[in-house]
Amino acid sequence: MRLALAIASFVVLLVHGAVFYKQFFHKWENYQTGYFDQARTLAKTPAEKAALDARQPRVEQFIVTSFGDTRVDRCGTCHMAMDDPRFDKHAQPMRTHSYSAALGDGQVNGKWERRHKFADFGCTVCHDGQGRGLQAHYSHGEDHYWPDPLAGYVVQANWRKEFQPKLKGKEYMESNCAQCHTEEGFSGTTHVDRGRKLFFSNNCYGCHRIEGLSDGTQGPDLTEVGKKFKLDYLMESIVDPRANLATSFMPKFNLSDADVKDMVIFLKSRRGVNFAETSLQRYRAVLNAKRPADEAAKEPVLQGAALISQGEKLVTDRACTACHKLGARDGGVAPDLSFEGLLKEEAWVEEHFKNPRLSISDSIMPAFRFADADFKAMTAYLVSLKTAPAMTNGAESYKALCLRCHGEKGDGHGPIAWYLDPYPRDLTKAGFINSKSMERLTSSIKNGVAGTSMPAWGRTLNDTQAQAVLQYVFDTYTKEKRREVKPQKAPDKNPVAMSAESVSRGEAAFINRCAGCHGRKADGKGPNSPDILPRPRNLRNTAFVESVSDRRLFESILYGVQGSAMPSWIDYGLSQNDVGDLVNFVRSINQKSPVRSANARGN
Amino acid sequence: MAVPKATSEKGSGADAPMNRRRMLTWLSSVGLAGSAVLSAFSNFVFIKPRATYGQPQRFNIGKPEEYPSGTRISLDERRVCIVREGDKFAAISTTCTHLGCIVGIADTGFACPCHGSRFDQDGNVTGGPAPKALPWYKVSLAPNGEVEVDKDSEVEPGSYLNV
Repeated sequence: MRLALAIASFVVLLVHGAVFYKQFFHKWENYQTGYFDQARTLAKTPAEKAALDARQPRVEQFIVTSFGDTRVDRCGTCHMAMDDPRFDKHAQPMRTHSYSAALGDGQVNGKWERRHKFADFGCTVCHDGQGRGLQAHYSHGEDHYWPDPLAGYVVQANWRKEFQPKLKGKEYMESNCAQCHTEEGFSGTTHVDRGRKLFFSNNCYGCHRIEGLSDGTQGPDLTEVGKKFKLDYLMESIVDPRANLATSFMPKFNLSDADVKDMVIFLKSRRGVNFAETSLQRYRAVLNAKRPADEAAKEPVLQGAALISQGEKLVTDRACTACHKLGARDGGVAPDLSFEGLLKEEAWVEEHFKNPRLSISDSIMPAFRFADADFKAMTAYLVSLKTAPAMTNGAESYKALCLRCHGEKGDGHGPIAWYLDPYPRDLTKAGFINSKSMERLTSSIKNGVAGTSMPAWGRTLNDTQAQAVLQYVFDTYTKEKRREVKPQKAPDKNPVAMSAESVSRGEAAFINRCAGCHGRKADGKGPNSPDILPRPRNLRNTAFVESVSDRRLFESILYGVQGSAMPSWIDYGLSQNDVGDLVNFVRSINQKSPVRSANARGN
Repeated sequence: MAVPKATSEKGSGADAPMNRRRMLTWLSSVGLAGSAVLSAFSNFVFIKPRATYGQPQRFNIGKPEEYPSGTRISLDERRVCIVREGDKFAAISTTCTHLGCIVGIADTGFACPCHGSRFDQDGNVTGGPAPKALPWYKVSLAPNGEVEVDKDSEVEPGSYLNV
């Protein structure tokens, strides 16, 4: 017992001693005394030496109020020699802060003079980091709770391994330079400028809003993104958008490492505040930005070829090919526009510009806010593209027209398939393909599938070509011999009359039987849906539902859809009348009241 | 083998446990007393923490060339008046020794706007309620060639830095 007490008391003493040592013997004191010693050997006059002898270690700090919040920067406590040019060859923390003409430093009488004096600017305004910290770990922001680690110097341990080397480099500090040097083309912020250009040339502006630059609404507002997120998060969000949000539909763009870096630097510079402006100036800028521009009214109305060439210019300038394919340029995200004139009508294209989700209800295309005249010109250009690609047989047609979505293997995993909702059909599923009649398959090719990204190829392919493609799909992908499709017993017209009672019965049955996959909202996003391919149909896709006959709905519900997870509900005890109620329910949720439809058209 | 052991135990049996006990007691009390001393000392140190309040008291005011000969300029934010006569530099406090107002530069020296204290060119009191002269601060040349004023160390009036 006494032995235990003796040991315990010694442990307590040791712990106490450790805490005491940590609290009262700081590393920065050692650095400071080291600096005094070295400076003493370099001192030329006895007065200098005496002054150094008199100095005691203490916390050195700059208090800077000019840049946003009050900054207390105690960096000089360890980095004693940052403004002492005699230490330019020493190791950190005792090295002179480099002089550079790029920072505006100049030489006077052969001696460097700083443009950004530390006493006026502090340290963290350029470098980030935690100015008040007195331990390297905290002050450099290595602690992963600190939002702004030293830009380009410190990567936090919790950052993804593959990003860590990419997030080093002085360039990342440019995002802080841009807090004051906001002008474009400033020689010190070339990476920010390039990032800004990439923001437009990759059509980020279509989805994201940055105050004063863009007004997209699909994605998050990026006005203050640099204040909220660290470099690693910004980079991750660009190169791997689904890493943080599994449901994100932001495309992965084809960006080189250098592009990503510049985008990250640009985004980090978006802090929603600008040190160069006072709040009053900022308020004025906001007011001026909101003033409606009435230049559009003055522009002459273009016609014919002029309109088309204007449209071509707009389509190029506004970076449609960041996602779409157009000739040689291919964003690898959205459908091919190279022969849009053969696929769509002018009215459809113009309407699709204004409200992409009107005809394809799950399209991820942003609704751009361009002027009406611009939409007209772009539409005129797109519908003028009427040159079909050269195709001599079914294989070539498939390659030219179908492969982008249905994929090289015909399994519906084409290069852009992930961005399409609903997914392209898996053509290797013989169960599905062979259970559908030739008329239906041909019609899907020639007339397209309403409410999906499958366009009508009727004007691109003639009947023989369409047959050839279909045959190619059968031979290459489906592989199974076609069997005769027997017409199933189903009514041509819903025998149950549409009525409020029928719809409510249908709704109850839907919640009981269908919601697991199709979702309570019938939007195809039920709890089971992520595990199912092909995905459950979005039954609120009005264009699709309207294009489907009662007979097909009855067949699909009564007998199931082969090659998909839809079971045959007749086996689960649904009578024809129950199915009639379900059909009425599905029809009713896609009915638009006259008021709503008038609104939708008016956009 | 057992026999010698038994004898040794027996031989020291009378006071060995006593020694051990005393030893342990002594060790425990050293440990506890040491902790107590350390914590007491820590508490005393916490009374006067290692902190620096406000703007740094030692600061650079720029190159000597920026101050032509004959300059008497008051840096109000720093509360110091920079004097240059020929090659000689000095820094005189502009905080009135009476109630801490910022004194202004007058033809005759310094004048306090609050209660009319007057000081001559060197900061000596010539009138008003001020109890003592304005202090002079140490001026030196920093390694980067700028003039450094250290408000933490006062110097005798009339001591200049030669540049």
